[in-house]
Amino acid sequence: MDWTAIRLLYLSELRAALRERAVLINGILIPLLMYPLMMWVMFSGILFVTARFESFASRVEIAGLPAEHRGLLERLEEDDGQVEITEVEAPRARAAAYREEVENRLLGGELDAALIFETTVDPPGNAEVSLLSNGSSDQSQAARGRLERALSAERSAWLDRIAEQHGLEGAEWQVFDVRSNNLATGRQMGQFVMGMMIPLFFVIMIANGCLYPAIDSTAGERERNTWETTSTLATRRIHIVTAKYLYVATMGLVAGALNAAAMVVSFRSFLGPLLARMGGGDGSGFAFELPLTSLPVLLLTAVLLGALVAAAMMILAAFARTFKEGQSMVTPVILLVIFPVVVLNDPSMSFTPALAGIPVVNVVLLLRQAIAGNVLWLQLGITVLANAAAIAACLWLASRILRVEEIATGSFEGNLFQFLRQQWRPAGGKA
Amino acid sequence: MSTVQVEAQGLSKNFFDQSRGEVKAVQEVNFECRGSEIFGLLGANGAGKTTTLRMISTVLQPTAGTARVLGHDVVSDPVEVRRNLGFYSASTALYPRLTARETLTLFARVNMYPAERTRSRVEEMIERFGLGDYAGARIEKLSSGMKQKVSIARTVVHDPPVLIFDEPTVGLDVLNALDLQKAIQELREDGKAILFSTHIMSEAERLCDRIAIIDKGRIRACDDLEGLRAATSRHYLEDIFVHYVTGNDTPA
Repeated sequence: MDWTAIRLLYLSELRAALRERAVLINGILIPLLMYPLMMWVMFSGILFVTARFESFASRVEIAGLPAEHRGLLERLEEDDGQVEITEVEAPRARAAAYREEVENRLLGGELDAALIFETTVDPPGNAEVSLLSNGSSDQSQAARGRLERALSAERSAWLDRIAEQHGLEGAEWQVFDVRSNNLATGRQMGQFVMGMMIPLFFVIMIANGCLYPAIDSTAGERERNTWETTSTLATRRIHIVTAKYLYVATMGLVAGALNAAAMVVSFRSFLGPLLARMGGGDGSGFAFELPLTSLPVLLLTAVLLGALVAAAMMILAAFARTFKEGQSMVTPVILLVIFPVVVLNDPSMSFTPALAGIPVVNVVLLLRQAIAGNVLWLQLGITVLANAAAIAACLWLASRILRVEEIATGSFEGNLFQFLRQQWRPAGGKA
Repeated sequence: MSTVQVEAQGLSKNFFDQSRGEVKAVQEVNFECRGSEIFGLLGANGAGKTTTLRMISTVLQPTAGTARVLGHDVVSDPVEVRRNLGFYSASTALYPRLTARETLTLFARVNMYPAERTRSRVEEMIERFGLGDYAGARIEKLSSGMKQKVSIARTVVHDPPVLIFDEPTVGLDVLNALDLQKAIQELREDGKAILFSTHIMSEAERLCDRIAIIDKGRIRACDDLEGLRAATSRHYLEDIFVHYVTGNDTPA
């Protein structure tokens, strides 16, 4: 192999690609910025919605409030003074016409929520209560939430008082004192979330990173009339194809690695604080950190997947004479690669040696294991061998294809499947 | 007399066409081209000029026959052939996203020009073809005239003894075409063996030392202009061409 020529051609392809807007966007900017942007939008959206809910002043009406529960009003008034309370006396509250009137005012937006103490039952202090709200209104839902919280607090305080009167401790009347305890550390929780998300997007980004370069370096060259220029260079065709292949694989690898790095950073900077704010985890929040041992495996999977996807895409793109043809021929590879990842994205699936023999699937499972800090060496070995075999098969097929002069010169009118049919047709079937 | 740099013997090429079946694009073509010579292939569109030149440049493989460039066979030793060859045609465009300087450096290096002399050679080409102000600009930003100059520069940057110009003036305006013809004449003076294809009679008359008239894949006649005139008793190349191609005698 003439590695000098391969290096020169490879660097030339890379240099040209980095000056192409579509390559920069698909191969670098999207993988790098997609997650920070997505997380930022999500974070901002949740903050916005929360702030909006909190800023609503709720107009609530409380009808027939028993004297024993006047504390409920204090609890509502403590809620940042955002509740405007109207009280209705018990006799009016129990009238049938009153309920109908309240419902109309709720549906008409004059009122956000109503709490109607309809009947008191024994023992004293107990009551049947209706909480009315309009589920199609944000303001009404916020008011309902405030009333529910106040009711719950009042109920707990009431029960504590009753229990105290009977000389009971809280644990004695509560029957079950549940203390929920998540044994997973924040780091393990973070690794679980990353294990679900990183492999899926990693595969998508590698495929996306390879797509444009694979078409550009084959069909794009034909469309620009530079294919013949390249084929007059004083080096073997296999060196030209090798340089192009390495370039496509590099772009896929870079896209995948940038994406994984961006995802980890985004998780740490946006998703972790967001989940902590929303009450996720065990109080210590999610820790999105990759174990050091996973980094070489992450790189290895990026190399394997980039090399495989690049080879598959270039085989198909070799038949395209225009960029548009290339897009329609190569896009199915993306679907083919993503499909098993989506179908097998089940956290309970274990990485068996049999699954390690299936290209793409094995890379995803290996990556998930690595993120969890658990590298299974046998499966890793099988994964490398299986992908290396698949890459070798693709390259062998590519070399067969490029030996056909009509394909190399772009005069072949067909695709991979027509080519394969011609190859397998009995002798004499083809001129 | 200079040594033979390019020789074709019984060179043939068949294609398979879906609608027409097997097409004999080039049939038993024989010629040779020496250093300091411009050898013209004159023919109508589809006569087989480009196919012949593509076989010599190793882009296509012959169905039969042989061709050699400096003794290197185009089938068994294609890399050495390409190393000793510069190929220019309307279908050999430049890489739009590279600059002129990057293009010349790439072609010099991949075509095995000595690495230590590449920089000075590239600057020499930039100077010779007047690319100085544009050498750092991307090809896609250049005018068609400038692109053509870069194309010639990339064809000769590795200093090959043999050059192929396949209908180089197609699509060029008169001034650019004249510039190109001048450049080709200078290259002949540098001792290059030049294969030049065209369907423009005046161009062939002005440039070529010897002319092969090609029609339907076969060479009908091959001689210098005086020889062709003597053989046909016609003065103008256009009449000579019609004589060989149609067989219809125009008035002598």
